[in-house]
Amino acid sequence: MNIPLNIDWQQILLHLFNFSILAGGLYLLLYRPVKDFMRKREEYYQSMDEQARQDRASAQALQQEYQARLAGVGAEIAQRRADAQKELDQYRAQQMDAAQQEAGEIVPQARANARREREKLLSSASQELADLAVTATEKVVLTSQGDPYEAFLNLAEKGVSSHDNAQ
Amino acid sequence: MDKSKRNRFLVGWICITALLLAGSLLLSSSAGHDETIQTAMQDAVLHEENQVSLFGLLPVNPGLISGFVVTGVLLAAAALIRLFVIPKFQYVPGKLQILLEQWVGLFDNMARSSSPWRCGFLGPYLFAAGTYIFCGTIFELFGLQAITTAGRSITLPAPLSDVNGAIMLGVLSYLVILSGAIAGNGLRGIPSALTEISLLLSMSFRLFGALLSGLLVTELVYYYITLSFVLPVVVGVLFTLLHAVIQAYVLTMLTSLFYGEMSEPKKRSGRQKHRSPARRPKTRLVKSV
Repeated sequence: MNIPLNIDWQQILLHLFNFSILAGGLYLLLYRPVKDFMRKREEYYQSMDEQARQDRASAQALQQEYQARLAGVGAEIAQRRADAQKELDQYRAQQMDAAQQEAGEIVPQARANARREREKLLSSASQELADLAVTATEKVVLTSQGDPYEAFLNLAEKGVSSHDNAQ
Repeated sequence: MDKSKRNRFLVGWICITALLLAGSLLLSSSAGHDETIQTAMQDAVLHEENQVSLFGLLPVNPGLISGFVVTGVLLAAAALIRLFVIPKFQYVPGKLQILLEQWVGLFDNMARSSSPWRCGFLGPYLFAAGTYIFCGTIFELFGLQAITTAGRSITLPAPLSDVNGAIMLGVLSYLVILSGAIAGNGLRGIPSALTEISLLLSMSFRLFGALLSGLLVTELVYYYITLSFVLPVVVGVLFTLLHAVIQAYVLTMLTSLFYGEMSEPKKRSGRQKHRSPARRPKTRLVKSV
């Protein structure tokens, strides 16, 4: 078939064959390696960017956390102070209770002791008086040359005065 | 440079240029042409006479030989880069690394921006097509010679100034677009791709026409010895560089835009006929380039 412009199917196919070799070769030798490298570099910078973004986010979170902590420190101090005061008050109340209880135990015991001492003193004084009276009587009776009754009284007065001085 | 040195340089330069001009004019009659300008230009389009034997198997257009040479050079360069440059890539790139990354990234980004939903195949295709068009067009600047089957010496042209090469790339680009339509929407994508069947012709012959026009102008300029001074710097080098950039950009841009438009998943509720108003004028604008 006579095609205008000397178009030749065989030569078109030869051109196609030639171009297919060129396209395949360029793809394998140039296009794909260069694109692979560009993709690798892009991934590298993207990972760097992602890492920087994560670091920034964590730093911001840390900053917020510390700011929140800083803001809560005043309240925490007040709370702790209140707790300490409360504890101190409780301790003081306990000490007061214990002291009162101890005082409540000590006073009656002291009173009882004092009463016992007094009774003891009274009984010992009575005994002494009795002994003194007996001794004086015996002396009067044994050594009396005048009126015994008169001598007894004089002796009794002496004995009382000497006892008072001794006390 | 002081004044006396500058004057000596200017005198020497003018003398050398004048000698070259005189020699060119004196030798022009003996150099001669064994074909007329009409024949030369017609043959640049049709390749009826100046064909080159492909390994002694069959005569082919010189553009096909150029295509093989360009492919060989590009693959050799790519292999060298793969072996010696890419392993030394750094995260902070050097100049060559920047160039390679920009070269790959240009087509990769083009594919991603035009067809974000499906660009795994489009990127490598655009890269190969853009590289082939750019380097193939630059190739004609080097003026590599080949011997035709008629025994003449010819300069190897750009691969895509051969109509067969241009048709191959245009049709292949359309097939890529069609494959995107099918991959994105299944069999429902075929009708929308078929509505753009004119791309087959427009893409093929845009490439062919653009590169052929450059070839013809160069052919015309170099045919006459009097046009071979100063003018080739503009029509030979600058126009070729512009061609290389523009044609590589236009074909890859068109392919990526249409691929993205066709491969975009469409809902069943009659959205097939509805196109994004932001995208449609863009493709029309590019088609008109």
